[in-house]
Amino acid sequence: MKILRLFTYFLALCFLFSCTSNKEKPYLTANSISVSEFSSSVELLVADTDFLEGEILKINAKNPSVQRILVNSDRYLKEGKLIQANSELERALRITKDEGAIYLRLAHLRHIQGLLEESKSFASKALLIKNISSWERLLLNVYSKRPI
Amino acid sequence: MKIKLTFKSLGIISLIIVFVISTAVVAIIDSRVTNKLEGVLWTIPAKVYSRSLDLAEGSKVNKSNLLRELGMLAYSENKNPSKPGEFIYKKNSIEIFLRGYGDQKSGLFKILLKDRKVTKITNQLGISVDIVKLEPIVIGGMYPSHMEDRILLSWSQVPSILVDTILSVEDQNFFNHNGISFRSISRAFFTNIKAGDIEQGGSTITQQLAKNLFFTSEQTIKRKAMEAIAALLIEFHYSKEEILLAYINDVFLAQSGKRSVHGFGMGAQHFFGTSVSNLETDQIALLVGMLKGPSLFNPRRNPNNATNRRNLVLGILQKGRHINSSLLEEYRSRPLGVVSPNFRSETKYPAFHDLVRLELRDNYEDSELRTQGLRIETNLDPVLQDSLEKSIRKTKTQLIKKYGNRLIELEGAAMAVDISTGEIKAVVGSSNPSRFGFNRSINAIRPIGSLVKPFIYLTALNKYDEYNLTTILDDSKLSLKSGGEIWEPNNFDKKFHGKIPLHVALWQSYNIASARLGMELGYDSVQETFNKLGISKSIERYPSLFIGSFEMSPFNAIQAYQVIAADGFYSPLRSIRDIKDVRGDIDLSYQYKIMQRIRPEPVHLLKFAMKQTFITGTARGYPRKTIESWQAGGKTGTSDDQRDSWFVGFAGELLVLVWLGFDDNRPTPLTGRSGALEVWKNFINEVQPSSIEKTSLSRIRYVWTDKQDGLVSGEKCKNSLLVPFIIGTEPNRIPFVRNKCASKPKRNKSDVMEKLKKVFEEG
Repeated sequence: MKILRLFTYFLALCFLFSCTSNKEKPYLTANSISVSEFSSSVELLVADTDFLEGEILKINAKNPSVQRILVNSDRYLKEGKLIQANSELERALRITKDEGAIYLRLAHLRHIQGLLEESKSFASKALLIKNISSWERLLLNVYSKRPI
Repeated sequence: MKIKLTFKSLGIISLIIVFVISTAVVAIIDSRVTNKLEGVLWTIPAKVYSRSLDLAEGSKVNKSNLLRELGMLAYSENKNPSKPGEFIYKKNSIEIFLRGYGDQKSGLFKILLKDRKVTKITNQLGISVDIVKLEPIVIGGMYPSHMEDRILLSWSQVPSILVDTILSVEDQNFFNHNGISFRSISRAFFTNIKAGDIEQGGSTITQQLAKNLFFTSEQTIKRKAMEAIAALLIEFHYSKEEILLAYINDVFLAQSGKRSVHGFGMGAQHFFGTSVSNLETDQIALLVGMLKGPSLFNPRRNPNNATNRRNLVLGILQKGRHINSSLLEEYRSRPLGVVSPNFRSETKYPAFHDLVRLELRDNYEDSELRTQGLRIETNLDPVLQDSLEKSIRKTKTQLIKKYGNRLIELEGAAMAVDISTGEIKAVVGSSNPSRFGFNRSINAIRPIGSLVKPFIYLTALNKYDEYNLTTILDDSKLSLKSGGEIWEPNNFDKKFHGKIPLHVALWQSYNIASARLGMELGYDSVQETFNKLGISKSIERYPSLFIGSFEMSPFNAIQAYQVIAADGFYSPLRSIRDIKDVRGDIDLSYQYKIMQRIRPEPVHLLKFAMKQTFITGTARGYPRKTIESWQAGGKTGTSDDQRDSWFVGFAGELLVLVWLGFDDNRPTPLTGRSGALEVWKNFINEVQPSSIEKTSLSRIRYVWTDKQDGLVSGEKCKNSLLVPFIIGTEPNRIPFVRNKCASKPKRNKSDVMEKLKKVFEEG
């Protein structure tokens, strides 16, 4: 009986560890949030591009100058002027490379342009930026984990 | 039937013949008039521009680089900047009267600087502004065979004072004649008869346009007659405004090397470094005055003649009441204010121009480039380009001083690129960078020496379950049969170093350890890494490959290092940003491309080993704080018999590669350290890159290890170094001798899980 109880504790301990550790090799990826871990809101983001775009355009840059450029870029994006939108985003990157908001838009833009590998890469690159918010991280993961 | 040849009939026949010939001549001239005025005149060469500079709140800026750029843009220092092209620099701020470019309006802006950053920008009214844009520099063009260079102006871009000055000086009766002014001709005729020589011209603006378009400056009756016919035809076909505009766009103003400068748009750029709309009346007077004799009144070559002529034109303007007496005196007292020409031939930067041409080749026909007035906006940073050129020249002089005249024919190539975006910021293709000819940055294919080693080590580190930075490599004697011969590689110091950790083998650049590692990994694995780094060339399966027999151009080598410097993200190098059409709309965009080729963690480990080059290796000498803020790393390379000297290094956002050697491949006295690294240092010391943020890699853990055995050590242990590991791969064995000083390795959850799993499976 005692052995059985010990064995039950052991199993519980194992279960606890398996919940807190990643299933894949821990060092395989730098991205810590898996899209599949989120339920309905993430599913909505993945399935509804308009909803996703709306969420992305709500992400502001910390730097006001960069934000002004992003406003231009967002306007071009809504007008379907993708080249101009890209041009503005690249302009913003020349001011700072530490704003997740820029990369997020680039990932989205490349996705619209049909350049899926680039979209994924922009998102993965942004995930290396320090101090990006959890929401930015989650949105970036939508692109970085999307199958090509 | 017989035709009686009477005097009368001969006269009629002659008249018919004269009529037919005259009609034919007029028809030919007419066709040339319309063809030229509607064709050739409006063909404009493509212009190549450097990058424009955005100054935004929060953006990084190097004060001295900014001042240099203003100098290159011909901005002049003035205590109270009051007109476009002036600035004043104070301790922590700079006030610039911008000329305006694209969506940037001209105006005075105050830019506050602190800690190498823009902290605030205000306009003339003191209102805060987010961003201002400094115009780009014209760095070249794609010219037709006649090398005519012009900037085409539309009527709305022509200032009224320019029109007034041209008409006052050249043709006061312009709006009242039909192409020929008999009053002017007769006045000139009598003056010339009186003088016994040709002293005065009676040509109207229309006649001058006709002359410029079709005829030489030879003064003959026949030519004058043809010119008059052409002038009448021009007046018949076109309105007065169209004729005047064609004249403004076509007049010849200067010869600059092979390039001829036509029109007031280009004239304003060439002599004053600005657009015609920014010209002051005295500057316009100078340009209009030059029409009488572009060479005689050239302000650079003959400043006294040019000043006298300008003052004369200003006097005419005052007489015509276009300016008042006080303005006349003020304008006359001003210096000419001409700037140095930007470039005299096709381009100022031949090596960069080659790259631009290569990129354009896939998308544009040569004829399109030479005629359609395209604006090619590039990534060239004029200050970095200038510094790179200076560095290669300066280093060559220093090396000649040190090693003697045997280095007089030493050649070189260098490139600076933005690590993240692959934007090419500066290129040098020769030790004399302004010389046209063989561009070594793209065409010199040379053995890269130890520059190949990081590719081999990256192959290993990418197999993270087998290799880490402290994996022990063997640097003892190696003897191999290769190609029927015995191959015994040597280290540069001719010594063997036994068992050493991988990171030491890399930053010390040990050949034997690297060769063994390469062979252990296998040619296929190494080829795979090469491909990921953007090297399409197949490797030759000789072990000497692993220590540097592999050949590359500087361009291809820096592309491979871009992937490493950018944490595994490949971005094709690009010299062009956008091509805009004559209306200013984007015709083609060379957008930023990115592809993740390698995971960031193994690259992070490699970059750590490359950082040691700056801390304890060949590039040591920089303060530790600077190295950390730049996230610097680098690698030297020297080929067999010191025929090639290489250095590649990243600092801040810049990746810079340098090659030095002789074109005929003879040995040099230089290593990567004593040659190419010196160019790199001279460049980086001058441009002082800004610091960059560290990347966030949650799967990396730093552990104190011993520099010799690679096992766990501690901060307080001797000979220890803090080394990064991918979590789960760090060493955990503490040798007995370091039991007291060593830091105990942290266990992570996955290790515990693995152990639990094992226990469970075994159980």
